[in-house]
Amino acid sequence: MDVVKLLYDVLKGKVLHHEVISGGVVIDVRPEDLVSVVKVITEELGGIYTVIVGVDGRGIDSTYHNVYVFSLDNLKTYVLIRVRLSPEDPKVESITPIVKGANWGEREVRDLLGINLLGHPDPRRLILPDDWPSNTYPLRKEFNYYEKPKPSLGCNYVPSRSEEVVALPYGPYHPLLHEPEYFELHVKGETVVDVEYRGFHVHRGIEKLGESRLTYNQIPFVAERICGICGFVHNVCYCQAVENAAGIEVPERALYIRSLVLEIERIHSHLLWLGVACHVLGFDTGFMHAWRIREPVMYLAELLTGSRKTYGINLVGGVRRDVNRESIEKIVKILKNVKEEYDYFVKSLTSVKEVIKRLEGSGILPKSEAISYGVVGPTVRGSGLKRDVRVDHPYAAYKEVSFKVPVYSECDNMSRLMVRVEEVYESISIIQQLIDKLPSGPIIAENIEIPEFKEGFSGVEAPRGEDVHYVITGRFSKVFRWKVRAPTYNNIPALKVMLHECPLSDAPLTIASIDPCFSCTDRLVVVDVLTGKKFRVDFRSLARRGRL
Amino acid sequence: MSRLSWIKKALEVGVVTKKYPFEHVEVPEGSRGLPEFDSSKCIGCSACANVCTPDAIRVVDDLNEGVRRVEYFVGRCIFCGRCAEVCPVSAIKITKEFELAYKDEVRFIIELKLVKCSNCGKPFTTTRHLNYVLGKVGEGLPELMTLCPDCRRKSTINSFITPVGGTV
Repeated sequence: MDVVKLLYDVLKGKVLHHEVISGGVVIDVRPEDLVSVVKVITEELGGIYTVIVGVDGRGIDSTYHNVYVFSLDNLKTYVLIRVRLSPEDPKVESITPIVKGANWGEREVRDLLGINLLGHPDPRRLILPDDWPSNTYPLRKEFNYYEKPKPSLGCNYVPSRSEEVVALPYGPYHPLLHEPEYFELHVKGETVVDVEYRGFHVHRGIEKLGESRLTYNQIPFVAERICGICGFVHNVCYCQAVENAAGIEVPERALYIRSLVLEIERIHSHLLWLGVACHVLGFDTGFMHAWRIREPVMYLAELLTGSRKTYGINLVGGVRRDVNRESIEKIVKILKNVKEEYDYFVKSLTSVKEVIKRLEGSGILPKSEAISYGVVGPTVRGSGLKRDVRVDHPYAAYKEVSFKVPVYSECDNMSRLMVRVEEVYESISIIQQLIDKLPSGPIIAENIEIPEFKEGFSGVEAPRGEDVHYVITGRFSKVFRWKVRAPTYNNIPALKVMLHECPLSDAPLTIASIDPCFSCTDRLVVVDVLTGKKFRVDFRSLARRGRL
Repeated sequence: MSRLSWIKKALEVGVVTKKYPFEHVEVPEGSRGLPEFDSSKCIGCSACANVCTPDAIRVVDDLNEGVRRVEYFVGRCIFCGRCAEVCPVSAIKITKEFELAYKDEVRFIIELKLVKCSNCGKPFTTTRHLNYVLGKVGEGLPELMTLCPDCRRKSTINSFITPVGGTV
């Protein structure tokens, strides 16, 4: 394979071992060579940071593994750089100084697996709460999934900015109401100068649950519940990762059905986002109409899968539910209507001058920063970079259809909106092509056998961007390691750039423009750097301030 | 297009929100709702409990009373329909019922009589399950059927060893 040869050529003796897996290449390197290898991958081969996976591999080869995944878009492959770390004192040089996007991924392996990062710029915890005891690492195999350690102050609180004395380390949360996430906007007068984010308040330990309690075919149903809007992508992505690991041949008809449902999900998700964007701008008429148009799409999803949102039609090896001729006729009829309505909606929306003025020129994310943060989905396509998993790493039935990847290079909120607007048209066209070409045959592979300790990696283009799952198969019908990285995980750190020097009134829209799982952003603390005063506003009142 | 187009559209579509629950809402055919259990068909094989991701279906053996209870609790159910898919006797049917707010915690329970092992006396499965397997294998090995898995293993080994080695 030429990618392997290329890697050996550019890395000059630093590759200890390589393995070609479905959709990617795994290379083993020495921990001390890691930083130089990552430098070569990102600078010479144009690799874009995707995810870091920490593995407690002591059950396989008595070491910890850190797997750094980069996407080589032009070579249409992922490269997984694996370092093996000593079981007594796992430590490795941090790559965050050269790859900004790796900040969260590295803090995550430090929190959950206790892997020491030398030279990491941010000493704070990311996922674990501050009252989680030190030296207790939930993703290590000796930690049982039902354990509840007694709270004790496990780390020191580090204020985000040195000049203010922080009176409110984190605001009050309401985990029961929305997904609680926490943005701290540092403002000078009306201009945002920095943003601090603290999330993971509802970290549910799904990976641990999947590794310890669930079987292969139970995980898809849990994976689907990771996201409240685009859950099916996680479902598909997990199944593909296991299928890749075990080398399962999925029937063609099943691949078509997966693509079909994924595109229906994209349409409803983008319509939802358009509605929410209008709402944030104070343009509730647009919100109402977008959601009215979305409703028939939800009906279609229910017709095809049996449920409006948690479709639950995927299993390892294929799908559970076939489509029949009547439902295909209905899809064609309903989508024709949706397209007409949507056309009218888009034309009306772009005729409202206030909307356009608010969108244009706000929330700028330059292309170079987008690459460095490893931003994905419409957010990166709005910054002039053509990245789409459906094209770069084709999966399901996307090889069989032709479609355009909309790219805008103005780098502002308007570009991100236009990318999504056009993607809906493309999705409708993809669905029509899939229906025309739908092959007959079985929908699920029979007699599946999953060998142990095989690696599988898979990416899926979610409405919000690239979603990736990494799986190591295990014994007794269970996965050994299951790692999930949702698209918003890579997009939120880039808000630091987008919100820099932006008026406070544009902040809600800019945060919304990455399409985070939206209810996440329900509360903000505003810190006035000049007076050191902090006050708390909820999302709704901030949006109201933005409308004045 | 001008902003008047919004008004035109609003007049054209009118009110779309339904007056639920005063108005009936029809869900499409094949929508997955409440599973329905046919206690006359259930054989207590636990296949449904094995695939159930959220533990909505549990199978508990009550050794004192000699019964196996198949319990279904709607509050945990995610309506995936896997149970109906794996049921060997089609005792579970997925209905379109989605209005599931109840005043009390509703549990559906099927009680099935357990069979005791003819050797050690430990209950190991239900009468119906045994009859179901018997029906599948036809004229099988009736004397092994009444043994629990442990005793069956021992008995097979014993019958295998004796003719070859004489005494062990």
